[in-house]
Amino acid sequence: MPGGPRLRGAVQAVSLILFLWLLVMARQRPGAEPPSFSGFFFWIDPLILVATFLAAHAVPVLLLSALATVLVTLVAGRVFCGWICPFGTLHSAVGWVCDRIWHKGRKREHWSGWQRAKYYVLAGFLAMALLGGHWVTIFDPIVLLYRSTTTALLPGLQWAVEESSTAVFNWDAKLGPLKPSAVTEPCRKFLREHLFAVDSQSFIGSELILVVFVGLLAANAFRRRWWCRYACPTGALLGLLSIRPLLRRALAESTCTKCDLCSANCQGNAADGSGSGWRASECFVCLNCESACRRSSLAFEWDWPWRSEPVVTSVGLSRRAMMMSVVGGICTLWFFRSSPRASSKRLGYQARGLVFEPGLIRPPGARAEREFIQRCTACGLCMKVCPTGGLQPCVFEAGLEGLWTPRLVPQLGHCAYECNLCGQVCPTEAIMPLKLEDKKKFRLGLAAFDTTHCIPHAYGRDCMVCEECCPVPEKAIYFIETRIVTRTGEERTVKLPHVDADLCIGCGICENVCPLRGNPGIRVTNANESRNPANQPILPER
Amino acid sequence: MQKHSRREFLAHSAVAAGAFAFGVQPGSQSQAAEASGPSDMAIARWQGTGTPDDKQFKELSVKLTERAIEALGGIKRFVSRGAVVWIKPNIAFERKPELAATTNPDVVATLVRLCFDAGAKTVRVGDNPVHDARRTYPTSGIPEAVEKLGAEVVYLDRARTREMKVDGERLKMHPVFPEMVECDLMINVPIVKHHGLARATMCMKNYMGVVENRRVFHQDIATCVADITRFMKPRICVLDATRVLLRNGPTGGRIEDVDVQMQVAAGIDPVALDAWGAERLGVKPNEIGTITKGQEFGLGKMDYRTLSLREVVVV
Repeated sequence: MPGGPRLRGAVQAVSLILFLWLLVMARQRPGAEPPSFSGFFFWIDPLILVATFLAAHAVPVLLLSALATVLVTLVAGRVFCGWICPFGTLHSAVGWVCDRIWHKGRKREHWSGWQRAKYYVLAGFLAMALLGGHWVTIFDPIVLLYRSTTTALLPGLQWAVEESSTAVFNWDAKLGPLKPSAVTEPCRKFLREHLFAVDSQSFIGSELILVVFVGLLAANAFRRRWWCRYACPTGALLGLLSIRPLLRRALAESTCTKCDLCSANCQGNAADGSGSGWRASECFVCLNCESACRRSSLAFEWDWPWRSEPVVTSVGLSRRAMMMSVVGGICTLWFFRSSPRASSKRLGYQARGLVFEPGLIRPPGARAEREFIQRCTACGLCMKVCPTGGLQPCVFEAGLEGLWTPRLVPQLGHCAYECNLCGQVCPTEAIMPLKLEDKKKFRLGLAAFDTTHCIPHAYGRDCMVCEECCPVPEKAIYFIETRIVTRTGEERTVKLPHVDADLCIGCGICENVCPLRGNPGIRVTNANESRNPANQPILPER
Repeated sequence: MQKHSRREFLAHSAVAAGAFAFGVQPGSQSQAAEASGPSDMAIARWQGTGTPDDKQFKELSVKLTERAIEALGGIKRFVSRGAVVWIKPNIAFERKPELAATTNPDVVATLVRLCFDAGAKTVRVGDNPVHDARRTYPTSGIPEAVEKLGAEVVYLDRARTREMKVDGERLKMHPVFPEMVECDLMINVPIVKHHGLARATMCMKNYMGVVENRRVFHQDIATCVADITRFMKPRICVLDATRVLLRNGPTGGRIEDVDVQMQVAAGIDPVALDAWGAERLGVKPNEIGTITKGQEFGLGKMDYRTLSLREVVVV
């Protein structure tokens, strides 16, 4: 196909733009919901479908869209990797830049046995998924890109824009007639309205997320599309599906001069030296080889699956290594589950009852911990749509198995009473799509006053900001006017606040607005959470 | 604060004496004096009883606002040609207007229209809400109502507050939203609501939406609110009592706690308006700290009946 790589580049660009557009549109906009297809790239990702099916024995209907990807892969090979995957696009873009920087020192790369690594990794992960571990999806390329952009790149950019424009704004007054803020302020306003999520949205532990992301992109300097060739579990899954696709590369031996230009331009390192030994499972169908060949000896042609011509070389996975991966995956899961913070099926909670992590407040509609962890891909879509920025990636609160899964950190943002967006967008329904009226009754936890430093309790002054903001119509925080005696012996009436355990839904706005920053006088823990009967220690009175 | 000319004083005295002589309530008497120059406070109420239906409610809200402003001496008394006006409703919480936690959008929209009719160049509408403005604004119905009239709905930028000299009893320097202070006129349009700590939130407390770092105010809410009110130098307030939140304020959320009273008051004295509003909630004005503190600060008179007051009835 003439101009193949050009067309592929255009499709890749469109795909990446669509991905970023969906991501940007999933922010809080006045009077508008995020697009109903915010999770599109997750739906068409077969790894998420397979992992959710294996781990949670569940198939959310929209994830069945991934069957289209499977079909395309069976017919035409890893087109998804080469043409659609936005993370792959980013890698090929970075690789292109690297080529421009170090074009002279460019080594010709050919198929390397290390490319088998991704299959072994996938085997281990799938063995883990069979036993209920969903961890593979946190290394899914779509998830990786979405999470990194949402929690690290955009907030970083926002911080830079906010801080620098504020610095220019404050500097303005000293400059006299020169007014740089006349330019920067409209830019800032535009970005705030059209790109950024909420005021100063930032995420705990985004440093690690950024390091992983930048590290993976930087690996392109070492080997082009390193991630896609050596590590990507989705790529491995698609590779297994494209062992004998209908669309195959055909080499006309008669005209081939073994100049090796095809391999030099190959994105996937699909062939050995001089273009021989082509492996369909490693080919991204990027069409670079076809366009690079000066004698037109290469072409992609349709063929029947039972035909072994042209020769399709297998990647040669070793049974022994495969078994080791499977055992490794199982052991890793056992290791995760032995942690005191891991989820427990029996208790529906953490850690065989040994350690309760009170700060693990899951979003409204989240399933019981074990079921939740078996579905959550840690993609960060819920964190992206959260209007208060309160949903944050876990670091170790849910054990290593729950790495980067969402939890509410009330001091950073409360759960908005009239909002159920996180459940609406969750691609795997780890957070159930609750109706608003049901969501308002869903308890995330319970607030508790710390009377040792809550202002009215400890210092005898009225405060009641928590009561003022409590969104429960009957007010889950109430006060009792209490006579107290001050240091000087003077009697005074103070309004002492209390929590009504029957009404509190644990939204955390009380903790968020408490004047005592850092160590609030009222805190929310996940006690009484609706999703977990084993963690409801307080009997209702009515 | 209240300056009365001798003539005004005599006229009021005569009216009061006449009213006393004929055994008529001062309020209804002053209604007869309608459209004879400006007054200090005007109350418009609906003649009907019960709850009007949705359509009637909308029409009445508009009419009540128009008549209250008219009885106050017309909006031209405050809005000059080419003026930049900021209308400050209460949009603090994400609640639908029926739940009476935010100002009635029709009252706000009517004020916008009156301002433009009086020749205002720009009318801006905005608040510094407790919840995210991107959620409270659309839910309140206010942007929808005012944007079609040409008003600008402003989402305030919290990183653009300025430390200003409040010079109050409690607050000396405080971060203030400059765009709200630097306009030609601010029309304060709160709603009458119950408030757990302050007992009621009305005109004076609505000025808390002009500043940031409000959390500490609650430890001495009366003084802080009075400080901010004095700093803002109120010129006109319109108090929305079309719906009143009787309990579980200031957030509300239950329709049972809402009382449809169909009244709108306008005035130049926030303390007087708050005293009137307190009565809408069934609270004595002198039991509310912000009101007594306001009077102590000389911001107005708690006993609103002693002002030049006009009451109009809308059918």
